[in-house]
Amino acid sequence: MNPPIFIIIMLTVISGTMIVVTTSHWLLVWIGFEMNLLAIIPILMKKYNPRAMEAATKYFLTQAAASMILMMWIIINLLHSGQWTVLKDLNPMASIMMTTALAMKLGLAPFHFWVPEVTQGISMSSGLILLTWQKIAPLSILYQISSTINPNLILTMSILSVMIGGWGGLNQTQLRKIMAYSSIAHMGWMTAIMMYSPTMMILNLTIYIIMTLTTFMLFMHNSTTTTASLSQTWNKTPLITSLILVLMMSLGGLPPLSGFIPKWMIIQELTKNELIMMPTLLAMTALLNLYFYMRLTYTTALTMFPSNNSMKMKWRFECTKKMTFLPPLVVMSTMLLPLAPMLSILD
Amino acid sequence: MMTYIVFILSTVFVVSFVSFSSKPSPIYGGFGLIVAGGTGCGIVLNFGGSFLGLMVFLIYLGGMLVVFGYTTAMATEPYPEAWTSNKAVLAMFITGVLAELLTACYILKEDEVEVVFKFNGAGDWVIYDTGDSGFFSEEAMGIAALYSYGTWLVVVTGWSLLIGVLVIMEVTRGN
Repeated sequence: MNPPIFIIIMLTVISGTMIVVTTSHWLLVWIGFEMNLLAIIPILMKKYNPRAMEAATKYFLTQAAASMILMMWIIINLLHSGQWTVLKDLNPMASIMMTTALAMKLGLAPFHFWVPEVTQGISMSSGLILLTWQKIAPLSILYQISSTINPNLILTMSILSVMIGGWGGLNQTQLRKIMAYSSIAHMGWMTAIMMYSPTMMILNLTIYIIMTLTTFMLFMHNSTTTTASLSQTWNKTPLITSLILVLMMSLGGLPPLSGFIPKWMIIQELTKNELIMMPTLLAMTALLNLYFYMRLTYTTALTMFPSNNSMKMKWRFECTKKMTFLPPLVVMSTMLLPLAPMLSILD
Repeated sequence: MMTYIVFILSTVFVVSFVSFSSKPSPIYGGFGLIVAGGTGCGIVLNFGGSFLGLMVFLIYLGGMLVVFGYTTAMATEPYPEAWTSNKAVLAMFITGVLAELLTACYILKEDEVEVVFKFNGAGDWVIYDTGDSGFFSEEAMGIAALYSYGTWLVVVTGWSLLIGVLVIMEVTRGN
């Protein structure tokens, strides 16, 4: 894509999300979603191959259907209440369907099928945008309507997402699919806390975005898309091998790392609300996630995979890619836990 | 009467959506899309949106006719695939048309019908009334509002249209 076009399109992607996040008018919410969708398509199709076309088409169809449902329930809400304000409480029926539409946009469990398919079809850098920036707009709307969301619906979807995000990723060898399933599971955690403490959802989103950015940038740095090629990292960039170990543990939510903060806070908040089964189930299904993160670290850092002799000469070629933001991102996605006491300002 | 007109238009709307989503050749697909658009405008007209219906018909369908012309020019096939090319689709189509005819006859005979839901009480969704505004229709007031204090809305929509063109060029230009 040539640079001026790329800049204009990125600008529209960003402004679409910004319109959704900042507006208080339902019509502009819809317009923002549509702008964002329209502009993300060429980014998904950055590589002109049939697989990317297919992925972009799938993404377009699901998102357009979700936008349509959203528009329909915005109108029904308008007929019932006579106003367009986002901040006013929604009609319960409109709230249910709107949650469904936003779940389609996010890729929550019953509507999750497009996420791995689309992520696998597009390039790494587009996948990075898809799994991070594209989550902001729907989650911000869910945040704003969080007081009128139907609890049964959203909790069912969140439990299902965490389970499917765990089970779906189990036997995957493709890194992008693993990241997609990881994204589904994290979305499940975010929607689980949505009803009880929307601020925690924002916290989880922030940390999820930081960790996913880092993971994708590490993979891009290695130019790897499969577990097998990731297992050859040790003779190319040994430091990154150990960073992947720490990062994967952080994504899985192990204690001394950043990824533990949201899991800790969410479980605490849910237990404070007298929910026992829900956090138990969430924590147990998060183990499934941890298992496939473990598999990645097992192939990269914990063992040396067999390879042919010519591969062992890879270290002679100097790495030309320079990722400026990688060091701060790695630090942020692994070492934020000591800052957890600062969360008291969120109360 | 109005309910029936809207009902018939809606049926045509659905049938034409089926017609372009059932993978015929691009020519018939485009044709189905135009019929769907035109019928949609008719439905909007029946709901009292005369200006909106007319504008969508002229501008949106005008653009679509150009697309239709291009697809016809680009994808001319000696034997374009239509509904009649596929036995199963044709049979389903004929069944649908027959069912619709029977329903229409039933409606005309009884003047009131209860097939899936009752048409009797359907009068209240014919027009959603937003209150009288005096001499102008609400649409004219809406347009005026759009161009007076809704300036930024015009900017956003204009930008979206421009981006739409850019995206289409970017997607279709190939490598």
